[in-house]
Amino acid sequence: MAEVARRAGQSDNREARLRVGRSMSAVAKYAFLGFWAALCVLPLVLVLSTAVKDPNLATGNPFQLFSSFRPQNLVDAWTLGNFEKYFLNTIVIMVPTVLGVVLLSMMTGYALARFNFRGRSTVFYLFILGLMVPFFAIMIPLYYNLRDYGLLNTPWAVILPSIAGAGGTGLPLGVFLMRAYFLDMPGELADAARVDGCSEWDVFRRVLAPLAIPAASALAILTFLSAWNTFLLPLLYLQGAENRTLATGLLLFTGGRTRELELTAAGTLIMIAPVIVFFLLFQRQFVRGLTAGAVKG
Amino acid sequence: MTVGTAPVSTGIRGFLAARRAGRPRQARRTSRALVAVFVGPSLLIYLMFMVYPFLGTVMLSLTSWDGFARTKDFIGLDNYVVLLGDEAFWNALVHNLLWAVVGTAAPILIGLPLAIVLWSGARFRLAFRAMYFLPVILPSVVAGIIWGWIYNPLFGVLNSLLEGVGLGSFTNGWLGDPDTALWAVLGAAIWGAFGTLVVFFLAGLQGIDLNLIDAARVDGANAWQRTRHVILPGIAPMFTFVLTITLVGAFSVFDIIYVLTLGGPGTATEVLAGYAYKMAFGRNFAGYGSAVAMIIAALSLVLAIAFLKIRERGQVSG
Repeated sequence: MAEVARRAGQSDNREARLRVGRSMSAVAKYAFLGFWAALCVLPLVLVLSTAVKDPNLATGNPFQLFSSFRPQNLVDAWTLGNFEKYFLNTIVIMVPTVLGVVLLSMMTGYALARFNFRGRSTVFYLFILGLMVPFFAIMIPLYYNLRDYGLLNTPWAVILPSIAGAGGTGLPLGVFLMRAYFLDMPGELADAARVDGCSEWDVFRRVLAPLAIPAASALAILTFLSAWNTFLLPLLYLQGAENRTLATGLLLFTGGRTRELELTAAGTLIMIAPVIVFFLLFQRQFVRGLTAGAVKG
Repeated sequence: MTVGTAPVSTGIRGFLAARRAGRPRQARRTSRALVAVFVGPSLLIYLMFMVYPFLGTVMLSLTSWDGFARTKDFIGLDNYVVLLGDEAFWNALVHNLLWAVVGTAAPILIGLPLAIVLWSGARFRLAFRAMYFLPVILPSVVAGIIWGWIYNPLFGVLNSLLEGVGLGSFTNGWLGDPDTALWAVLGAAIWGAFGTLVVFFLAGLQGIDLNLIDAARVDGANAWQRTRHVILPGIAPMFTFVLTITLVGAFSVFDIIYVLTLGGPGTATEVLAGYAYKMAFGRNFAGYGSAVAMIIAALSLVLAIAFLKIRERGQVSG
């Protein structure tokens, strides 16, 4: 993290010296950067503006940003749309998924990096293969498996496949990242702890696992976002109104409301506000987690 | 292979012996109980909810199962033969291929210049990166809802914009018109994707030695030549990685289409994943849907492995 910041500062200092587009005037450069930034941000500003608009104005000119202020829309959407229930359902899925992915990935990544056992590389490649298997390649039988296990339409129907890697993150990514992280740690640390009488479990629990917290938190953040946003898993395996998550619930809520734009926008805002706040708080860790696999791989 | 962290107790002899045996780390085997505790739970969940259903898809694709019958009748490769003559399947595959080409090229053409400009020195760099990344963190459902609203024929932002600048004759029901629907959905997907590429390319660019750029400039290389001969080779591994994830992702696209068009109008935006979904859960052709899913898996695996090979070769020669 400090490294990234240092480099950022460094390149700012060197700006004049190494600028690629020296011929490009500064105006053109910032126009280019700004154009795409606006394209990314403006739709969200529009959501925010419409979410607090007077219902009579909401379908009017969308560019009259913040022409009225009616926060009551958010309360209306919250109660009309059952968002309390969706929020709860999403959290009930998100928390065990994040905990499960992080703890299991740490343990298995640690074992693959530092234990010596038969079948170690087989297990590693088995998990890596999961990074390449698209969800659709397990979607259909998984439905019937979950039904047979009696897990269909329970939170476990999303939690367990998400941990296994059906949502794109999960164990395959987690084991990969954590193994790489533990491989980079000096072996002398563990040896010193062993000399001091630590059991293998304590070496992990008290010495090396705490050192892996940066990687674990990056993984936790990635997992949180994917669990919050996951759509197809609850669409398929959590049917029934009482089981809906924010993703599937929001779609239902907005589906029948093509004209009540202010409510659609308010519902959307309710779902994305936590994600955006979370992202702004943990941007660095998030980016690091995302790119770690690419750089290391 | 990582070497150089042999246990202190075994010394250099033990280290060399272990390396000769192909085991650079601990020569002593870890107790089974410990391995079971550390690997067992993960492996169990992974086998039950990933490996087993994957094998299930392979098996189901060889049956005519309808999702209800007690017996699953084995019909060999029949589903795949039917697939070859299924126009809807080819229609969906063509859409995925278009998605792969445009949905990969466009984010690269947007994301790479942005990353290079940011890297080579811009104020508010982290703020820009955060803004480009905002659409990426949004749930696909939300991206769909927002773009459904932008494209709305009656009060959509796009049509209002066109009218506002005097291009009122170009207004359209973007998602309802079979000629524009796929492009409209693709546009929404590109909006939600190019920020990832900015982040990845920026991370790749951090690895380029700044002195190389200076040296190239001293040698008289202009901005384009520096980009072409120093920057692009420098991020080649990252480029391969980005190409892999976007291409592979193109064959699994589902959410945004489901939210925006459900594959319609007609089959104008139908893709393989949506077709597999509809076949398996809409019409209860679990066997046939599995065959479609197998095609997605095969395309993804072949692409991913091909790019891994390219990457390995690049690392050996480079």
